[in-house]
Amino acid sequence: MRKGTRWSLWAGALVAIAIIVVGSAAGGNQQRAQNLRVIDLGVASTLDPGLATDTTSSNAIQALFEPLVRFGPPPQLKAVPAAAESWTVKGNAVTIKLRKDLRWTNGQQVTAADYVYSWLRAISPELASEYAYQFFGIRGAEAYNSCKENCAALRSQVAVKALNKTTFQVTLISPQAWFIQQLNHDSFIPVHRATVEKFGEKWTEPENIVTFGPFKLASWTKDAEMVLVKNPKWRGASSVKLNKVTITGLSDAATAENAYSAGNADINEYDLTAALVDKWKKSKEYKTVGTIGTYYYGFNVKNIPDVNQRRAMAFAIDRKAIIKFVTKGGQFPARAFTPNKAPGAKEINKNSIMPQVAKLAQAKAFMAKAKNPKLNVNLYFNTSTGHAAIATAVQAYWKELGITTTLKNMEFGQYLDFLGPPPNSDVDVYRLGWIYDYPDAYNGFELWTCDSGNNNTGWCNKKYDAIVDKAARTPDESARFKLYQQAETMLTGANGALPIMPIYWYVYHSLVKPYVQGWALDLIGRTDYTKISLA
Amino acid sequence: MLKFVVRRVLWTIPVVLLVILMTFLMMRQIGGNPFRTSERAVPPAILENLEKKYHVDEPWWKQYLYYTQGVFTLDFGPSLTLRNQSVNDVIKERFPVSLKLGMFAMLWALVLGIPLGIIAALKPNTILDYITMSFVNIGYALPNFLVSTLLIYFLAVRLKDQTGLPTNGWAGPSTWILPAIALGHAPMTIFARITRGSMLETLQQDYIRTAKAKGLRWRRVVGVHVLRNSLIPVVTAAAPLLGFLITGSFIVESIFGIPGIGRYYVISVAGRDYAIVLGITVLLAVIIIFANMVVDILYGYLDPRIRDART
Repeated sequence: MRKGTRWSLWAGALVAIAIIVVGSAAGGNQQRAQNLRVIDLGVASTLDPGLATDTTSSNAIQALFEPLVRFGPPPQLKAVPAAAESWTVKGNAVTIKLRKDLRWTNGQQVTAADYVYSWLRAISPELASEYAYQFFGIRGAEAYNSCKENCAALRSQVAVKALNKTTFQVTLISPQAWFIQQLNHDSFIPVHRATVEKFGEKWTEPENIVTFGPFKLASWTKDAEMVLVKNPKWRGASSVKLNKVTITGLSDAATAENAYSAGNADINEYDLTAALVDKWKKSKEYKTVGTIGTYYYGFNVKNIPDVNQRRAMAFAIDRKAIIKFVTKGGQFPARAFTPNKAPGAKEINKNSIMPQVAKLAQAKAFMAKAKNPKLNVNLYFNTSTGHAAIATAVQAYWKELGITTTLKNMEFGQYLDFLGPPPNSDVDVYRLGWIYDYPDAYNGFELWTCDSGNNNTGWCNKKYDAIVDKAARTPDESARFKLYQQAETMLTGANGALPIMPIYWYVYHSLVKPYVQGWALDLIGRTDYTKISLA
Repeated sequence: MLKFVVRRVLWTIPVVLLVILMTFLMMRQIGGNPFRTSERAVPPAILENLEKKYHVDEPWWKQYLYYTQGVFTLDFGPSLTLRNQSVNDVIKERFPVSLKLGMFAMLWALVLGIPLGIIAALKPNTILDYITMSFVNIGYALPNFLVSTLLIYFLAVRLKDQTGLPTNGWAGPSTWILPAIALGHAPMTIFARITRGSMLETLQQDYIRTAKAKGLRWRRVVGVHVLRNSLIPVVTAAAPLLGFLITGSFIVESIFGIPGIGRYYVISVAGRDYAIVLGITVLLAVIIIFANMVVDILYGYLDPRIRDART
């Protein structure tokens, strides 16, 4: 090849490359399509508001439908009108007025009759809804739900009645201060009667479903992917920026992180493993959001009856170190059972003394006071590397008190059976967590009442039960918080019985791309897609 | 031949019944409760309603009878954990995905494995043989989940712009490539080794020497005489491998987020969804029985000695 030709070929190549590079850079400044891609632990397992039990289902349901109320800003998290326009509470009677512009996707208005039908459906024994107990504060609901005969009569006695097209009234068994906040839960969302009656269990399929929220269901590949598109007929549609939301369900944390890194997702809700946390923790894209939930160890008080030993074991643990070196998740060390994000937590937890760092000297002093201490302890937890790591740390801390801890793990289903209540006699200490159903401390306190199906400790104190019961009937917030304080003090105060030992309060982790604006997680880990836009 | 097939098909029935019985008993033995999936205890009245709805409150032999009756009408009942779906729905949606994935993996295994084995056998104990067999042996030692994650990380993240491959999902041809390679790599190594060993043995045979002596082109000798006889062990290995590919795809499906039956099977055991576990077990038992039957028939076709012995 002649020299001149070679040079001109190179020059031509350089020019071509330059054009391509400049061209693609210019192209890169295009307006980003408003299509959000989210990766989560799974995809909704059901879209039936009466049957949903997990957060991913709840997330989708709250986008497709609209709850009666949403939560206002922390710390009070007061109920804010959503589908409900207003409400009045007089003693046991709650009257709810609906907005007049609620429309099903087939154009019909959402009426009070829809709510009455749906609530009765959710309470009905035929539906066998796991969350039916959310309605048990309503007069007649529990009786109808557990009816064996005479069900039609009991159904008509459930105290939910439509007063007119957009107003309905509920009569509670006693004043419940958190009832309005509870209305945020999916179970209280109405379903379209004609659709349910026509299609039966298939009414939630994309070709059948009728909804009334800010988004519509475009497609649903069970367990793998769900696509939501904007509902142009929704009353607030003009303020919704997103056109499409694609939710992909994955089962592997590494793949989720890989997908996010490769730019195949805008938000990754799949919690990172501890190894991946180190890679992301300094990044602005790694978000940590507090929630209302407590990770705790419970004691079998029949096996460890002396409260001094329980106090010793609680004081020997270094919660801060566990969070910093073991979980690495930025959780909050728990000084009480009630999480810091619960309304009124500051006052409720005022007398609680769970230490943030290990107080070994005090712990040893408590241990010395214990009569017949149990020095060989079985610590049970459900199989998971995370729980095992925490248990191993706790085992080392308790060694300082002269306690030999044997770690025992079990598969989750068998574990729950094993804990009862009452727990198997081999269980001395067990691990569990509690995520609150609604933002009121009562949801946590009722766990430790004598009859609670979630009380695996065997601890029963009638005085505690009485305080909790009284609080349930106290609508005035400041009076109620004082009663809660008494209850919490009985658990984790200086003379508290410590049937349980809180370790940390839960947080949620997400990876969010910098161009995602308006993202937030509510206390139950759900996202409001109407507030998000992509820059 | 027909008698053979009919006899095999009839044997399927008692085998399936036994499989159902064993699975039933094992699921009951592991305890746990399909209706309590979280730490939150379910109130007793609600638990009763659920158990009544799904007949879980009846004695085990009654449930077994309900169930087997359903199986023979191909109605596997409703799923206990997925409230709006029946087991038939679940299988209908997920099985084709796993089947496709298994087929692609098998294709990859055959297309890569057999030629590698042939190359190694034709040039034994040369550098080519050592390279191919090292590749194969290393591949055999690497577990599924490691291969999957490495493929995703290097090909779909680091070299994303060059390859354009997605990290997860099952939608369109570009998503089929990595999972097929990941799932197929172990069978690929097995095929390569079997092919090599079998070919080496066949190449020693007298009739091959005769064919060469007769002056046949080497390519024809290998392609027609050697290969046909060497592939019999490969066919024998292929059937259970196909079963493994369809059923054992759990890990690959989990890592790539593929909505197949393998992954769902394991989730259902953990979730104690008796109906789904039984349904999928029956399905897989039938597939494996069928695959073995096809192999036996094929075997008869490939090896005339067997064919003659049977008739």
